[in-house]
Amino acid sequence: MKWLSTYVKEMKIASRGFYFYIEIFVAVIALVILLVAVKENPEGKSVEYLYNDLPSSVKEELLAQDLAEGNIRLREDTELTIRPSSFVLKNKDTGMTESFGLNPEKTVMAQTYQKLNPETGEVLGIVYLLENEEDMIRMSYNTGNIGATTTMDASGNFSYKYVLQGYETARYEEVLYIIHTFANDDIEAIKEQQSTSVIGAAERLNNREAVVPLFIAFSGALMGFFIIMSYVFLDKSQGVIKAFAVTPASVWTYLLTKTLVILTTVIISSSIVVIPIMKLKPNYLLFYVFLAASSFVFSCLGLLVASFFDTISKAFGVLYLIMIGLMLPAFSYYISSFDPLWIRFLPTYPLLEGLKGIMQGQADVSYVLSYTAIFIASGFILLALANFRFKRTLTV
Amino acid sequence: MLSKAFRIFRKDAKIATRDAMLIYIIVIPIILAIGILLFAPGITDSATTVAMLSSDSENYIEYIETYAKVERFSSAEELERRVLKRDDVAAIMQEGDSYRVIVEGNEGPASAAMAKLLNTFYELGATKENSTAEILSFEKTVPPLKTKLVNMLILMIIMLSGMIIALGIVEEKSDNTISAMNVSPASQGAFILGKSLLGGSVALVSIIIALLILGYYDINWLMIILMGLITMILTMVIGFLQGINSSDVIEAAGGVKLVMLPIAASIAGYELLADKWQWTMYWSPFYWSYKANDLILAKNAQWGEILFYSGIILVISLIIYILAMPKIRKGLSNS
Repeated sequence: MKWLSTYVKEMKIASRGFYFYIEIFVAVIALVILLVAVKENPEGKSVEYLYNDLPSSVKEELLAQDLAEGNIRLREDTELTIRPSSFVLKNKDTGMTESFGLNPEKTVMAQTYQKLNPETGEVLGIVYLLENEEDMIRMSYNTGNIGATTTMDASGNFSYKYVLQGYETARYEEVLYIIHTFANDDIEAIKEQQSTSVIGAAERLNNREAVVPLFIAFSGALMGFFIIMSYVFLDKSQGVIKAFAVTPASVWTYLLTKTLVILTTVIISSSIVVIPIMKLKPNYLLFYVFLAASSFVFSCLGLLVASFFDTISKAFGVLYLIMIGLMLPAFSYYISSFDPLWIRFLPTYPLLEGLKGIMQGQADVSYVLSYTAIFIASGFILLALANFRFKRTLTV
Repeated sequence: MLSKAFRIFRKDAKIATRDAMLIYIIVIPIILAIGILLFAPGITDSATTVAMLSSDSENYIEYIETYAKVERFSSAEELERRVLKRDDVAAIMQEGDSYRVIVEGNEGPASAAMAKLLNTFYELGATKENSTAEILSFEKTVPPLKTKLVNMLILMIIMLSGMIIALGIVEEKSDNTISAMNVSPASQGAFILGKSLLGGSVALVSIIIALLILGYYDINWLMIILMGLITMILTMVIGFLQGINSSDVIEAAGGVKLVMLPIAASIAGYELLADKWQWTMYWSPFYWSYKANDLILAKNAQWGEILFYSGIILVISLIIYILAMPKIRKGLSNS
């Protein structure tokens, strides 16, 4: 039981250090921020600038219709600042260009309303209605948001001009064209003929809960990779690793207890965030098993990398690159459309997927357990390699 | 004093070259910049994705493909398996004269609605030619997400230089070279300046190289260099404070995590807080740096506001520097 006494000794040393409490402090701060500043269901953030080149009676009629159908909700008028800028606007259909010279800064009042999902009442975004077309175009240019002008000809037919930034996809532009081809009644009639089948019922994490898997993966498990390297370099500089050569404890015991110290810290800091936010939703047994396995593999990776260098400064480049690489699946986690095949091979991808399922309370147990097994097996392979390296060199 | 500071800088640069540290500091931001260059188009292409059966008519699939990304599958079972995956993909199937849309049930409202709309437009024969819409464009080429990633990269490079300073000081302490410095002709001021110059100048070069790789040739370079230099003053002070206060690398690493908090909070605050709550972030110099860089990268910056933001960062940095100076001097004397 040498490893147990070494672990207890290491935990005592860690609990006297500054770092242990920083971990706890950061977890508490993260919890407070999540509870206070992150809304569970935030409002949509899309912004549109519109100019209606229509007779007043038509404007009022359209507004009343949208209000009655629950498509919009009026807000107080907003004061907008139009910053100085000069640019060229190109009509993509005719190829004609129009130059807008540098304007002095000015403020304008814009009628403001929220766009709503009429079925759920969810706020989709905010719309500013401007008094003239140039203001709408300049606001669109300065803020990078979409602008549009609606006009009506003498026969009462509507036409639309969209003001885009230029980096939108061709598909997005094509959609803007076809939504103004047929009357709404014709569209609705065909839409209603289509049936919808719902084949799953997995509950989505709300905005606040969705941050939890990221926090655990990056502040917990992945930081273990960084911190264990720091521990090892500290011990190297203090000659602790050399001292192990003349004690009955093996290098293996030393390495294993280091990973256990990290594991304990990660479990404590993760619990501070997970329990108050997720409450009884997750399967905690599955969560802790998965967390322990993932922390173990990242800690072992840290040990192996540390074995190749003698100071943290020298290891810094490799450490930094590995951490950045392992963070990439966060993009895929938040942006569903960005899910290339190669990103799925990074270990943080299944980690985030597994944690997300556990947090939803609907984890695919076989998926989580199979990755738990893969993490543990990989961890032992990395630990064995680190052990081999440390035993061979002792000091490096 | 300046010549001694430069001598310390040259010595540090020589040591860093031996440790390959200098190469790391330059190479890492370049690799990240290339990463942004490669990933940004994929990340920003937010077109709807739908799953369809390969056995559907080619006309139908091609029509849908004009407006959405299409993934083809050979059977209904494969289609359903695709829908059940973690991202928001609806499947559409032709069923006699009509269509069936298959969803998992937890998608955003736009997913199924868009699939139905596309079927509807196919049925109606809607095309660009019979549209009453026109499209005007500013012909900008840089998507906002790329600008945000580049802005974060700049802050990350600056933070990296702070970390380098902190770790350098900790290592100097463990090697007892700071005590040796105290009995050398170099003053503490020259030591501080000399130790900061390496991280600062290399980070500045990295920022410039990263921006060139990412295609930001026509931004106002004077503005970006000014902001980089001003923000670096603060980072150097923080790096020094961390280094002096940390007795070992673990503490320095913990300190880095603490500095990441205001940086992350500044970015999140600028991007997520409503206008009326932006004032809650005014205390953070990283907020002003991110805000100024955002304007510079979007080519919307005016000299007046950049100088104003630089002034705020400088004042905050000076306050921290003045407050921290006794501690830094004491730390250097006692090491």
